[in-house]
Amino acid sequence: MTRGLAIDPSDAAPIWRQIEEGLRRLVASGALAPGAPVPSVRDMSADLRVNPATVAKAYQRLAESGVLAVRRGEGTFVAASPPPVARGERLKSLKDGAIRYGSLAVTLGTGCEEAVETLKQVWPRGAGR
Amino acid sequence: MRGTAAMKVETLTVRYGKKVALDRVGLEVPLGSVYALLGRNGSGKSSLVRVLLGQQAPCEGHAELLGEPSWGARTRLMARVGVVPEDPDAPPAMTVRALEAFCRPLYPSWDGTSLAARLDRFGIPADAPFGGLSKGQKGLSLLALALAPSPELLVLDDPTLGLDPVARKAFYEEVIGELADRRTTVFLTTHDLAGIEPIADRVGILKEGRLLVDEPLESLKARFRRIRYANEITEERTEFGNELDAFDAVQVKVRGWGSEAVVSNYDDARFETFRTTDGVVDAEASPLSLEDLFLAVAGEGARTKGGSR
Repeated sequence: MTRGLAIDPSDAAPIWRQIEEGLRRLVASGALAPGAPVPSVRDMSADLRVNPATVAKAYQRLAESGVLAVRRGEGTFVAASPPPVARGERLKSLKDGAIRYGSLAVTLGTGCEEAVETLKQVWPRGAGR
Repeated sequence: MRGTAAMKVETLTVRYGKKVALDRVGLEVPLGSVYALLGRNGSGKSSLVRVLLGQQAPCEGHAELLGEPSWGARTRLMARVGVVPEDPDAPPAMTVRALEAFCRPLYPSWDGTSLAARLDRFGIPADAPFGGLSKGQKGLSLLALALAPSPELLVLDDPTLGLDPVARKAFYEEVIGELADRRTTVFLTTHDLAGIEPIADRVGILKEGRLLVDEPLESLKARFRRIRYANEITEERTEFGNELDAFDAVQVKVRGWGSEAVVSNYDDARFETFRTTDGVVDAEASPLSLEDLFLAVAGEGARTKGGSR
């Protein structure tokens, strides 16, 4: 469940923000479907080996912004209709990722066309064109 | 009488003969926090732990534990504190079960069930003599015993020293579980900076008896950066070497390609000004891991201050 959620403790961004943004991305991409359960604070903190208070802070912020819903006694779930990621934010994430991929391609001496072609080849099936 | 601090020391000084082990140290460990006290060997960590636990009286200043004086109330206080000492030791012939029987009457809130469950998780037989356990098993047994009285405060003195990666992982997982279940306050000293970085929320750095840093890890990491840049000599430029002044550099190295500095007063706007300074070329700022940060503050060649706040 926490696959796809990578934490880098030495990053400049605080860990709670990394968890918050990571989950936001997983929800936005559909990897975590509306209504799906998310791990408890205890399991998530054990899994990522981080302070539970850090996970709790990320969950609280996500609950406040309507991405997660806490059902008392049942656990934490992705909200039934989580707010879509703002267009600007989505574009920025996409660009950041593209820059990383682009730099890698340049380092490997790959041309732009080959890089785009490779991207198309590895595009997940059924994830939209 | 209870404040909001689990531990508190003020102007604490400890001397051994003429040697000053702690020099007017002041710090507070907020209830529910995980405080990591860092420092090289001989920096005064163990003296501070001993004073906080009431095992040693301070020369000057005072120390409080859970709102009571560490020294004066030590007997009463120890029932509420779990301790894993620096060197996990117990009489070698005693089994873990015998150790439990010895400790149990000293604590009003002993939880034998959780102790058994922990020993089970760690794979430690309760009837094996302590002396025959591996170093990792000894450390984990003492952690299990320290958690058995459901302490309000857990004090760990370099707990993962000498543990193999598997035992270390088990140790941290158990501490994280305890934090999740009971929000126990944790105060620890350690050299395992990578291991503690995702868990600590407040950090203190001792160097030669003085506390150079005492603040939330998040703000500490926000204000420290490594800055690399090259200097270009231009006609308009009259001054060199002062371009980093606004950042409070704690370390500056001049390399063939330019300069590398660790600064303690970083912010984005300040860096933007620096980056576009005449003669500064290719400036880049990167975050520091807790380990890099420690080396910059407490290592050889560091300027002796933790930088401004």
